[in-house]
Parts: sequence; C-alpha cells; structure tokens
Amino acid sequence: MKIRSDILRVYQAVHTWGGICAGMLLFIGFFGGALTMFKGPLERWVSAPVVPVQQLAPAQVDKVVADVLAQYPAAREEFTLHVARHEDTPAPVSWQAGESGHEIDLGLVRWQATLDADGKLAVTQQQPSLLAELIDMLHRTGGIPGTLGEEYLGIYVMGVAGILYFLALVSGVILLLPTLVKDFFALRPGKNRKRFWLDAHNILGIASLPFHIVISCTVVVFAFHDQFYDGLRGIVYRDQPMFSPPAIGATPRDAAKLLPASELVRRVQQQAPGFEVTELLYMGVESPRPIVRAAVASPRHVVQAAETGFVIVQPYSGAILSTSMLPGQGNTWSSLVAPFFALHFGSYGGMTVRWLYFAFGLAGAALFYTGNLLWIEKRRKNQLKNGPLPVQPRRTANIAAATVGVCLGSMAGVGACLVAAKWLHAFGAHGNGAYLTVYYAVFLACVAWAFVRGAARAGSELLWACALAAAAIPATSLAGALIPALGMWAHTSPATLGVDGTALLLAAALAWAARRAARRARDGAADSVWSALPAPALVAPEPARQVGT
Amino acid sequence: MNAAAKRAPIRPDWWSKTFAGAVLGATLAFALAGVFAWVGPGGIAAPDKSQFVMWLIAPMWLTVFGFVWLFRSGAQALLWLGGANLLAWGLLFWVRG
Repeated sequence: MKIRSDILRVYQAVHTWGGICAGMLLFIGFFGGALTMFKGPLERWVSAPVVPVQQLAPAQVDKVVADVLAQYPAAREEFTLHVARHEDTPAPVSWQAGESGHEIDLGLVRWQATLDADGKLAVTQQQPSLLAELIDMLHRTGGIPGTLGEEYLGIYVMGVAGILYFLALVSGVILLLPTLVKDFFALRPGKNRKRFWLDAHNILGIASLPFHIVISCTVVVFAFHDQFYDGLRGIVYRDQPMFSPPAIGATPRDAAKLLPASELVRRVQQQAPGFEVTELLYMGVESPRPIVRAAVASPRHVVQAAETGFVIVQPYSGAILSTSMLPGQGNTWSSLVAPFFALHFGSYGGMTVRWLYFAFGLAGAALFYTGNLLWIEKRRKNQLKNGPLPVQPRRTANIAAATVGVCLGSMAGVGACLVAAKWLHAFGAHGNGAYLTVYYAVFLACVAWAFVRGAARAGSELLWACALAAAAIPATSLAGALIPALGMWAHTSPATLGVDGTALLLAAALAWAARRAARRARDGAADSVWSALPAPALVAPEPARQVGT
Repeated sequence: MNAAAKRAPIRPDWWSKTFAGAVLGATLAFALAGVFAWVGPGGIAAPDKSQFVMWLIAPMWLTVFGFVWLFRSGAQALLWLGGANLLAWGLLFWVRG
C-alpha cells in the first residue's frame, strides 16, 4: 500500500514523540499489569501461614457468622465470608475496622474468625499483606505518588499516557502499512542493530495490535470515567436518572434473623449454574438496605471484575436483587459493557488467557523498551571510516540512561518487595509498612546508577540486579523450606509454586540478556551509546532540532 | 480547487491540529454519545445503558485524535471538526428537546 511521504513524515513524528513521552510509564504499567494477572497467587505467596486453612462444615460456618455478628458490632457494617479458602484467607470470616476506602491503608488490620477445637469462636487479628494491591497500584499509577482530588494523580498521568499510546499505535500502523507485507515477520539479525530492533518492534506491535488498542482505550476510560460521567450528566442526561437506584427497605434489620450463609450460597449457585461461589461480601446487614455481593468465578465466562462476576442477594429473604453483573444474565447493555472490562483484565478463558495476558503484558513492556532503543539508535552519530570516534548527543545518552534505569529499576523494585515480604517476617516485621520504602529505594537507586555509570555499563549491571532479585524469590522459598528456624515459609500449593517457578525462568532470561548487553558494551561498535569503551566527553546539549527530523 | 493545491504536502501545524484532535475530538465524541443515548436503541431511559454510552466516548475521541494530522492544515482541521461539532451538538439539542 502506498502512502504519501508527507503523511508518513508527520506520523513518524507523532509516533516518535508519543512513544518517547509515554514509553517508560507504559513499561511500568505493562510490567505491573502482567503481574496483576496473578494477583491471587502473589498474595498467597507472601502471606505467612498464621492459621492453617480450615475446612468447616456448612453448619459450622453458619455458626461462625452468627457468633461474629453477635459479638463484634464492627462486622455488622461489612464482613466477608470466604467460601473458597487459600493461604491468604485461612479463616471463613474476616472483617476490618472502618470502611474499605479508596486509598490503600498500609496499617490495615483485619480480624478473622473460625472455630477452635472445641467448636468455640476463635478470633485473631492479622495484618493482611497488601503487596498485590500495591503492585496493582504501581500498574495503575506508574508509581507516581500523590493525589489529585479524590483520585491518584498517577491514574490521570497514566490516562494521558494511554492517549499518547493510542496515537502511537495509529501512527505506527500508518508507518508500517507501505511495507507491511515485506517487513512483517522479517526478523533480520546481523550487523545492522537498528534493523533488528525495528523488526522486533514491528513484530511485537503488529502481532498484539488488537490487544494494544483495547488496552489503550480502556486505560483512557479507567482514568477519566468520572469526568465522562459528569459531562454526560450535565449535557446529555440532565434530569434523566443515569442509574436506577436499588430499592430501599423501610426498617432497620436484626442481624440475628439473617438467612444461613449456606442457604445464600445455595441460592446463588442456583442462579449461576456452572460458577463457583468464592466469597460473600455482606454490607450493612443492619441498615435499611442490607445486601450481599456474592462473587462467582468461572473460567468459561466473560466476567465483569478482574476475576469474578457478581450476584447481589438480599440476605434476609434470599431474594436475588441483581444479576446484571453475572455473565450471560444481564440485560443487553450490561452484557455489551462486560467485554470491555474482561478484555482489559484478561478475565475470560481461565488460566490460558491469564498466561496469554501475562505474555502480552511482558511483550508490551518490551515494545516500549525497543521503541526507546530505536529512538536512540536513530540519533546515533556514526563513525566515518577511520575517522575519529563521534561524540553522541547528551540528550540521547540521557534517554538511554533513563530508559535503562526506569524500566529495569521498576522490575528490580518489585522483585525486591516480594523477597522483602518474607525476610521482614523472619525478623518479626510486617511487609506492608516497608513495601513502599523498599520499592522506591531500589527504583531510585537503579535510576541514579544508570545516570552515574552511563547506559552502556548500567544496562548489563542492572539486568544482573533484576536477575538477582528474581532468583532471590525461589531462593527465599527454598531457604524457608530448608531452614525452618529462619521463620519463613514455603507454600506448596501449585499457585504459589508457580510464582517461584516463573521467577526462576525470568531470572534465567534476565541473566541471558545481561550477558548479551555486557558483550555488546565490550565488543560492539564503539560509536554507540551502548559501548562501554571510554568515549570522548559528551558535548553540550545539541541545538534544538526541527520536530520530525 | 486546482490540481496544484491538491498535491501540496500536508502541513504539520502541530499546535492547531493537536488542539483540534484533543478538544474538538472530545466534544464531538460527547455530542455523538449523547445523540446515541437519546435516539439509540431503548432511548434515554433504558436501564444500564448509560455505562455503555460512557464507554463510547473514548474510542470515538481517540479515533478522531489519531487521524487529525491527515487534514491538510490546522485551519482545515479546525474548520471541519468545528463544523462536525456544530452539527452533532445541534442534533443533540434537537433530540434532547
């Protein structure tokens, strides 16, 4: 397909600048997002086994609920009944003080209740691990601290990055159209590094283009949905209600008259055949509008939330209040919206799609990384035959250092947090208070290191650091298993072993990349920012260039 | 319009085209989503429809934004998107009654 060269030139500039401005943030977003595919296993991996997972008969669970409500007024506002139980939810009932707010409360304390050996209520206090929540937040905010109004500042910044990302996708496709057939899947290794990176970048981009379009659009909606709704309310809907509020009952309720939990589970099960009821969230059982939000999981359906769909039940009558968040049972409009969420969260198709999204997430991160490499290679000053070694522009060297420091720093930071969770526990401390310190310390140290050492040397050194952090994850589990005196642990469920195994594979891949980077720094062309050979001093910032050159 | 003018290369006009895409693209998307809310299937009162309407805004806005640099000049972009906005908003006010 032929496209006029003036159009190509303009879109080349859109692509380059959109990509450079958003690339590093999007790297963090994609890397974090890939990890949130396995939020559950990660949370289970870092959760210390406080109480063994208990299997109770349905009648015993009903007793726990009744006793908790009778003895702990705080639970009447909101509590969770964990129907499916794992390492991080060993007891059937848990609740926390105050409302589960918008922001992450690092000092969060949760109570959990089960029955002791004599069949009496046993309540323990615990600090649930928030690591997976924090990784999710890193994914959504790019690690940018601060709030703006009631929202995290980073979410808006990510929304803007999402817009730039969409523009980069459109322009990238336009640029590739003229040579699509010839270039697609032509990976040309060899002397020309830039050609190789361009081929790799094109393959990653085109092969996952639908995925990237969906992610960029949904990111923009997730960031700005409040503004979109406000706008629609003001100019489109006005007096028309945008949402139909659920009916409100007249009288306050008596928590002692709740239907047994096992009965609620049975009714939800009837409503959602083929689904597994994983938890019941009881909200305001003594308020005029008591509801239970039952989470239902099924690998065969497109669900609305990150992992589950929902059925809303009235906990006194057992009446089903809403199935609009239950796949296949909502009305046309809600079933049209559900796929938008599912396509972002990868919450369809069970484990296969989760792994696919994990791979897409890492490939997406690689897309932005290779994009930055191309920008750097494009601005490289080549050495003329037998001429003196050219001086690379400072701007190019800075982008190279920032790319290496920010991207690899975010990976090393997350790895360090995981490892810290177990080691801190070994020394009697809880991870929640330390995660942010550990992450930002490692991240900022990596960025500083990249600028001090220069991109070429820092490239392989920071890759080694990432490999080390990843390898420390299974090593820590192994230490916990072999030396019980350390006070650590190694869970043996397949999900948590999967965390160890994946980390080990990533460590191997990172070590391989580190060796390659070191070899290029040592033996590669001397006129590159990636060469570790002593280069002449960098020149002052180059004069401003015409955009698009 | 003569042939020479047609073949003139498009001008980047970064500021005006970017403004047209970012702002006029957004207002156009709002108006079109609003028209869909009123006259689309089910009308304005269809339950759960508002969420779908909200989801329409971003793809329409981003599509306009993505292709805005195809206009020959910034003035053309402002003119065409401004006109489309007038039409869409007029339609919205008309159907909204």
